[in-house]
Amino acid sequence: MATEQLSLPLANARRQPGAMITVIAVGALLALCEREIVSHAHNVTLVALVTWAPSLGKALWVNIEISLLAIALGTLAGLTLGPLLLSPLRVVRAVTRCYVQLFRNAPLLVLIYFSTYVFPFEISIGHHILPFPDWFKVTLGLALPASANVAEIFRGAIQSIPHAQWDAARSLAFGRAQVFRLIILPQCVKRMLPPWMNLYASITMGTSLASLVGVHDLLDTAQVASNTVARADFTVLVYFTVLGLFFVYCYPIARITRRLEKRYAFN
Amino acid sequence: MSQGLPEAAVAALNKIGLNYSFVLAADERASFIHGMLVTLELSVVTAFFSLIAGVLLAAMLTSPRAALARPARIFVEITRNTPTLVQLFCAFLVLNMLLSQALRELGGNPLTPFIWSVIVIALHKGAFHAEALRAGIEAVPRATLEAAQSLGYSRRQRLWELQLPLALRFALPTLVNNMVDLVKMTTIASAIAVGDVTYASIMIWTQRDNVLELMILILLFFGALTFVINRAGRWLETRLRMPGYGH
Repeated sequence: MATEQLSLPLANARRQPGAMITVIAVGALLALCEREIVSHAHNVTLVALVTWAPSLGKALWVNIEISLLAIALGTLAGLTLGPLLLSPLRVVRAVTRCYVQLFRNAPLLVLIYFSTYVFPFEISIGHHILPFPDWFKVTLGLALPASANVAEIFRGAIQSIPHAQWDAARSLAFGRAQVFRLIILPQCVKRMLPPWMNLYASITMGTSLASLVGVHDLLDTAQVASNTVARADFTVLVYFTVLGLFFVYCYPIARITRRLEKRYAFN
Repeated sequence: MSQGLPEAAVAALNKIGLNYSFVLAADERASFIHGMLVTLELSVVTAFFSLIAGVLLAAMLTSPRAALARPARIFVEITRNTPTLVQLFCAFLVLNMLLSQALRELGGNPLTPFIWSVIVIALHKGAFHAEALRAGIEAVPRATLEAAQSLGYSRRQRLWELQLPLALRFALPTLVNNMVDLVKMTTIASAIAVGDVTYASIMIWTQRDNVLELMILILLFFGALTFVINRAGRWLETRLRMPGYGH
């Protein structure tokens, strides 16, 4: 009786080439388009894509700006809320838990509609009237769930540090604040980094929802371009370009996250 | 008396500044309830197909054959690292357009926005299920597999009767999380005019300007769905628990 080899997949060895090929393919496609135009401009679709390339690039920058601002605000708020989840006061714990649960369980699109329609379009502080543009409302809509997630990540990180370290440090006459700042926090940063980067990637992908509330982001620009040019092949090209651009931005983040996860897994 | 109760409730909420008068208008109430049913239907159908997609992708990912594993890996990476809304637009605005052009002589395109939403969200979440199941499949101890092989199990039998049942138990908490995400993700179907609860609400608040009130209802609705899924997940976990294996 022939026994076949008991084959366990060599997941890591195989995962890399496939992914690399994809990145190279997307890059090559873009380069090819570019060259085609530069050499002789006869292909109407590609010419249209090059004409629209600056607007698409600017629009992508809008997405990136929104995502960066949202993660910054969300991280600041989350780092304040995280320790409150472990507060010795029961009321504080309960209120923070409600906030975190509410914004982690609400659909992102609903939160974006919420921040767009419920917040005013301008705020008057004294005599000054500050405009409150749509893109900033979307940023807040993304920062709210981000803050809830960062709070949860931070709480998890604090709790993952063995309690014995607290006791040991206290026995060496460190104060509670000192233990937190000098011993617990540095270890937390390491543990929080991979999930925080995952969060950033998912917020970046969430920025595409801004197009639904009238922010001129990448997806919105692609729609405008496809309606203006009104050619079937251009529509195909422009939407898959958008897909490719998001992939090129998000995929490296995912890879670095995975590498960090592996490195921090056993220490 | 039964007529008076909703009116009294609406009046009471009106006093604290919440305008729920749409509940009293028969057509708007009907459209909101219909929206909730569409969301439920979309969630159930998508969840079902996402599990099928997840199992198939996981089987491909863990296959020793590169011809199966590599395309699955590329698909999973692209799906996980691009926004679902962009995928939905690529599918509905691009593939659907091409399909309509191709099928023009054959009596039109049979795929509705609802079906496209199911396809895109099911495949998207299927990729996440597949990653969870793959981790579960790789966590099955080698000794167990060798024992099965010595009993004459083929590779396919090992996968279906050993690795997948064990991987399911291992991955169950992640799968439940994915299902919660899936239900939340069905809201993006409103972008291509599927009449789900979000779409129905947009229609109502453009008429009545009562965004906050409808937001509260939507959040309560999704909160209830999430609660039910978490409960079901917990029940399954205790139900499927094998003493001495997994968590």
